[in-house]
Amino acid sequence: MTNLSLEQRLALLADSAKYDVSCSSSGSSRRGAPGMVGSTGRGGICHSWTADGRCISLLKILLSNVCIYDCAYCVNRSSNPVPRTVLTPGEIVTITMEFYRRNYIEGLFLSTGVVVSPDHTMEQLLRVARRLRREERFNGYIHLKVVPGADAVLVEEAGRLADRVSINIELPSRRSLLLLAPDKPRESIIEPMRRLSGLIETSRLERRRSRNAPRFAPAGQSTQLIVGATSENDRQIMTLSEGLYQRLGLKRVYYSAYVPVSSDRRLPALAVPPLLREHRLYQADWLLRFYGFASHELLDDAHPHLDMRLDPKTGWALRHLEQFPVEVNRADYHLLLRVPGIGVRSAQRIVKARRTCRLGEEELKRLGVVLKRARYFVTAGGRYLGGISMEGPELLERLTAPGGRRASLEQLELFPARDLSVVTGEL
Amino acid sequence: MGRYRYDGSFEGYLSTLCLALAERDEAVEFVRDAPETEPGLFDGPAIAVVTGKGEAAAFRERFAAEVSPEAFSMLCYAFHSEREGIENLLWQYVRLGLQAGPRLCSMIADKRVNRVDRLARAVSREAHRYKGFVRFRELEEGFLYARIEPEAYIIRFLAPHFARRVGDRPWVIHDLRRSVAAVYDLAGWRLVHDITLTGSPRFTGAEEGWAGLWRSYFRRLAVEERRNPKLQQKLVPLRSRKYLVEFE
Repeated sequence: MTNLSLEQRLALLADSAKYDVSCSSSGSSRRGAPGMVGSTGRGGICHSWTADGRCISLLKILLSNVCIYDCAYCVNRSSNPVPRTVLTPGEIVTITMEFYRRNYIEGLFLSTGVVVSPDHTMEQLLRVARRLRREERFNGYIHLKVVPGADAVLVEEAGRLADRVSINIELPSRRSLLLLAPDKPRESIIEPMRRLSGLIETSRLERRRSRNAPRFAPAGQSTQLIVGATSENDRQIMTLSEGLYQRLGLKRVYYSAYVPVSSDRRLPALAVPPLLREHRLYQADWLLRFYGFASHELLDDAHPHLDMRLDPKTGWALRHLEQFPVEVNRADYHLLLRVPGIGVRSAQRIVKARRTCRLGEEELKRLGVVLKRARYFVTAGGRYLGGISMEGPELLERLTAPGGRRASLEQLELFPARDLSVVTGEL
Repeated sequence: MGRYRYDGSFEGYLSTLCLALAERDEAVEFVRDAPETEPGLFDGPAIAVVTGKGEAAAFRERFAAEVSPEAFSMLCYAFHSEREGIENLLWQYVRLGLQAGPRLCSMIADKRVNRVDRLARAVSREAHRYKGFVRFRELEEGFLYARIEPEAYIIRFLAPHFARRVGDRPWVIHDLRRSVAAVYDLAGWRLVHDITLTGSPRFTGAEEGWAGLWRSYFRRLAVEERRNPKLQQKLVPLRSRKYLVEFE
């Protein structure tokens, strides 16, 4: 197992880590300090993009891909005959520092398979983080996985050392978890998430009172769930996410289209990962976090699935034509955000520009507002920009007409992070 | 009409603005100090502007106070786009700003402001992008060395970021397009002009090892089932790959 070269082991462990989609290095802002190496920026920085179009910000790596658990959807499940290997804490520390100095990465995202016990595993992760912070005086971004079932003291230390912590919820329902990850009962995941949420909130309040109060995971916690491996509908998924954002204050929920890494009978036989569905879920997620939508507005009993032909905001607007068109010179910010095709940046620019000038079609274009979809839902200076009268079915046809982008190209927008981070300061 | 010759630097341009405003000029022509800008037969004489830190700072303070700090920052970013005719565009912007006051920044639907706004955002975006794209290589000479060829003159926006971040090693970021480098010597950074390479940089023995490790990690991290080179190319355009170790 240790006969392999460093390069071979790094490659194997990258293989094991790559299905975790979290990449962001945002949410934490620390200037460099004398005697220390590194800084973090609120909006995060992407350093490269791999051949699948996903950004590399952090060195995403597993300490070990040996795992005692046998979760059916996971490439590292104990029954999977893949080569196993480990990196020592010292090796990870050196690689992180060398990569960081060369500006390949923004920091470290460390996870691992579970070996011996949750406590033992968590201790291994902490060993790396401690050395980075104390010996190397590393001030860059650290994202630590928290191992479900690890002792509260260890979990707390993780929060003190890391910028962001995460526990993957993995599957959207208790039933699916029981089916595919029998070693991880739902409570063992939700309970530590809840505890982290409490610690993050407490530290936030303390730091508001005193700037010297210790930080605890200043970039908050995130989680990930796999889409398409089990039978939950989009409504169940978005309701879950909404709860995680509202009740546990999560920063991000990541959705990972299930990539068939196993031929287990409990799993669906997918030819390709459901990437378009994943994309629609991200769009809906953005609507929850930045556009003031509630999940029940996007999905309900009659519409338990997101429409694959349309982005969820357009879908919502078509069901609520009575609210349109809105006048761009008057509509308030929150209403502008509900116009299909108008994003956070466009809405902000409209609100800013109309303070000094009356906006017509030409002004909107100059502001960079994309009118392709928006024109059917707005008036500018009293003039309706859509040309045709607003009839639901006709409009639907027009908005989904070929000549627009084909579904396979839709995932060009898969990672809106690059553009939006500038606007929202948060990936 | 005033015709001003300045050294091409941002400070020089601000000094020129100071002078032109004091002269109450309306139409102004700016020429940069360069051999090819010798006056033509029918050009009037150009006033040579001496770049003054004091004048530049005074202009900055005046503009930030009368218009807004945000408007000054737009001016600064847009100037560094080095776009043809940028001096005149910004001259209009500055005069408009001094008339309109703090409203200037919300006048983004106005043609004159809009052009500046677009340029400023493009430069700021590129500067942010390069915070990720700079790749340091370790040289035998004992410092970290990065080559870049950005569209805009962004090096002065990058240097402070790296001075805060990689503060324990001397480093050089070299803009080969403009023959200018930001040089950090552990105490602080400065710009050095007219830099040319006398030979190819000599990397340390360990350097290729780390670069190779990064390359193989980078390749393995892509999920084959999600392959999407078009998206990758949109995010990392070919022209910015030249010095990215992982694309070599």
